[in-house]
Amino acid sequence: MKKSLYLSLLACASLYATVDENATQVELQKQKAAIQKLQTQLDMLSQKSQGTLNTSASFSQNAYLPDIALILNMSAVARDVNNTAYENMAIPGFIDAGDAELPFNKNRGFNLNYAEVAMHSSVDPYFDVFAMFHLHPNAFEIGEAYVQTTSLPYALRIKAGKFKSDFGRMNAKHQHAWHFDDQPIIYKALFGPDSISDAGVQLQWVAPTDTYIMAGVEAMQGSNDRSFGDVERNNLYVGYMKSSVDVGDELSILAGVSLAHGKNTTTNATDVYGVDLTLREQLGAYSSLIWQSEYLQRNKVVDGSVKTHTNKQAGLYTELVYQYNNNYSGGVRYDAITKNDVDLSAYNGVNTNNLDKYTAMLEYKPFPMSRLRLSYSYDRTKVIAGERKDINTVMLSLNIAAGAHGAHDY
Amino acid sequence: MKKIILLTVLLTTLVFAQLNVDTTYSTLGAVAKKIGGDNVKVVVLGSPKYDPHFIVPKPSLLSKLRRADLLIINGGGLELGWLPPLLRNANNAKIRNGAKGFLDMSHFVPMIDVPTSVSRAFGDVHAQGNPHYSTDPHNVLIMAEAIAKKLAQIDPEHEAQYQKNLADFTKEWQAYLTKYDANMQMCQTKKVVQYHELFNYFLKRYNIKSYGNIEPLPGIAPSSRHTLALIQIMRENGVKTILQDVYHERKTAKFIADKTDARVAIIPHDLGAEGSQTLQEFYNKIANRICK
Repeated sequence: MKKSLYLSLLACASLYATVDENATQVELQKQKAAIQKLQTQLDMLSQKSQGTLNTSASFSQNAYLPDIALILNMSAVARDVNNTAYENMAIPGFIDAGDAELPFNKNRGFNLNYAEVAMHSSVDPYFDVFAMFHLHPNAFEIGEAYVQTTSLPYALRIKAGKFKSDFGRMNAKHQHAWHFDDQPIIYKALFGPDSISDAGVQLQWVAPTDTYIMAGVEAMQGSNDRSFGDVERNNLYVGYMKSSVDVGDELSILAGVSLAHGKNTTTNATDVYGVDLTLREQLGAYSSLIWQSEYLQRNKVVDGSVKTHTNKQAGLYTELVYQYNNNYSGGVRYDAITKNDVDLSAYNGVNTNNLDKYTAMLEYKPFPMSRLRLSYSYDRTKVIAGERKDINTVMLSLNIAAGAHGAHDY
Repeated sequence: MKKIILLTVLLTTLVFAQLNVDTTYSTLGAVAKKIGGDNVKVVVLGSPKYDPHFIVPKPSLLSKLRRADLLIINGGGLELGWLPPLLRNANNAKIRNGAKGFLDMSHFVPMIDVPTSVSRAFGDVHAQGNPHYSTDPHNVLIMAEAIAKKLAQIDPEHEAQYQKNLADFTKEWQAYLTKYDANMQMCQTKKVVQYHELFNYFLKRYNIKSYGNIEPLPGIAPSSRHTLALIQIMRENGVKTILQDVYHERKTAKFIADKTDARVAIIPHDLGAEGSQTLQEFYNKIANRICK
């Protein structure tokens, strides 16, 4: 069989070799004609397919749907105080017993903290819109909903709606973007779980300099009654300046100063000052070391028995996070109340000094959109039932962001 | 006197008024420099040392974007994980998406590997197709033409200059490509595996077949089961070259190389990733290291 194949091949080859030039020309012409025929057929086909393509629904708006993402956050918690005791905890001088809002990881056992629906879309060439619908197991809340300009000159940008203030480093970040599941104690103590988040307007400007400099001012309602809360009129004004320099290719330093000035009654003022510093050293393509710290001080004017006086309170947190690769990271944080010049007579006989907290965490991200985090915290800031009670908590949390969820800010 | 000073100041600013052109990656930047010449100042945002999907959005990049007259992006979803927040916070109306100073290069390059269905269950798949088109030297001229057209649009005063630069560069590049393609004819490597599908455009252009990836799915770290399966495929098909990029871990590639008697070739994905200074050096390095 093989032999006959070889023979016929040989025969063919010799046949072709003897064909004269004329025959080749004829063959060429034939092929040219065939190609032309194919070309016309192809043209007809492409015309046809163009014709069939255009049968879209006349009024379909699918292409204009906003980016929609679902963010789910849940946890399993082990804690050495029971739930009732934990709900009635106090942070001396800041949060009275039973007055704390605890929307995240409150229960021993299982918690579904929230399901958030995040939306983003361009409105037109001039505005973008963002919304974060925060759904607790039995409450719906508009976490944020605001419009933002995209086309103002001179690097100006205006934001209006309900939004998280850009005060400090941490304030504007959503819970799912924090490095640790717990809010820093000083933020929780001064502003509660939502931080400074309110209806208002914001104006930001980026300087045309080599070094990054950004300045912003905000006018907000000031409804957060942990520090502000004058209900008769809008009362909160926030201003900040942030700057960043790179040292070499790998180290970037970001620093900021912030001020929030509001009223806690129609007459009494509250001022909160903040300084923040973040250093990030890139160790490799997916590896980095981040050291982030913030110090906040609040001067709150309150009525006394004879005249008003100013309560001065302050605290800080400092955290170090080591990103090993794109799957694993770990970190530690230290929280402390550093100043607490207030009337603490309600805590007579209780040691209210040295209020601080230690936290450590290990994180595993199988994919950029999902995250498992194991953390341990030793919290020495709480008074429960008239006694100082240090709390140990071990927690495993799961966070996912599914759908069209945009990248996070730095 | 005052008038003269004013005039000189004005003139000098006119003479030295360069367009600030930001590009997200370095190959785009080098092409922009070729076409823009002395009329542009090119700033590259993403370092070629790192994974182009995950450039760290350092605040210093904001001050660069703030002053840009033109932003050229790779597109195809490659910048999705880092650029949008920077663009929002740089407050530069000139380069917002949709403005005259925003150029998405992927709108000009014919994309390959466009998936018919997209789900994150398949990993980090780009819906618009494979965005790593700049590894194919034939795409450089497409970029050059799009950039020349865009520069002429935002800086019509220097249109003739940009046209001339384009013509010169086209001539230079076509000559280079002729030589390059001839050399690639001689390339002995016909079968490879890669870490991530970074080099598909190059491989397709020069008929080199890729038999699989070290990562089981795009953006997912290697697993032992997948690695063993890949070793099996390489043995069955006689694949002797592993294309490793500069930013992923190299342990897995080395392990596979040991088991299959293959060679690990470190291939730059972008200009400068392995020390190349010019476009030609960059593409030469790809060819030399793949073909060896």
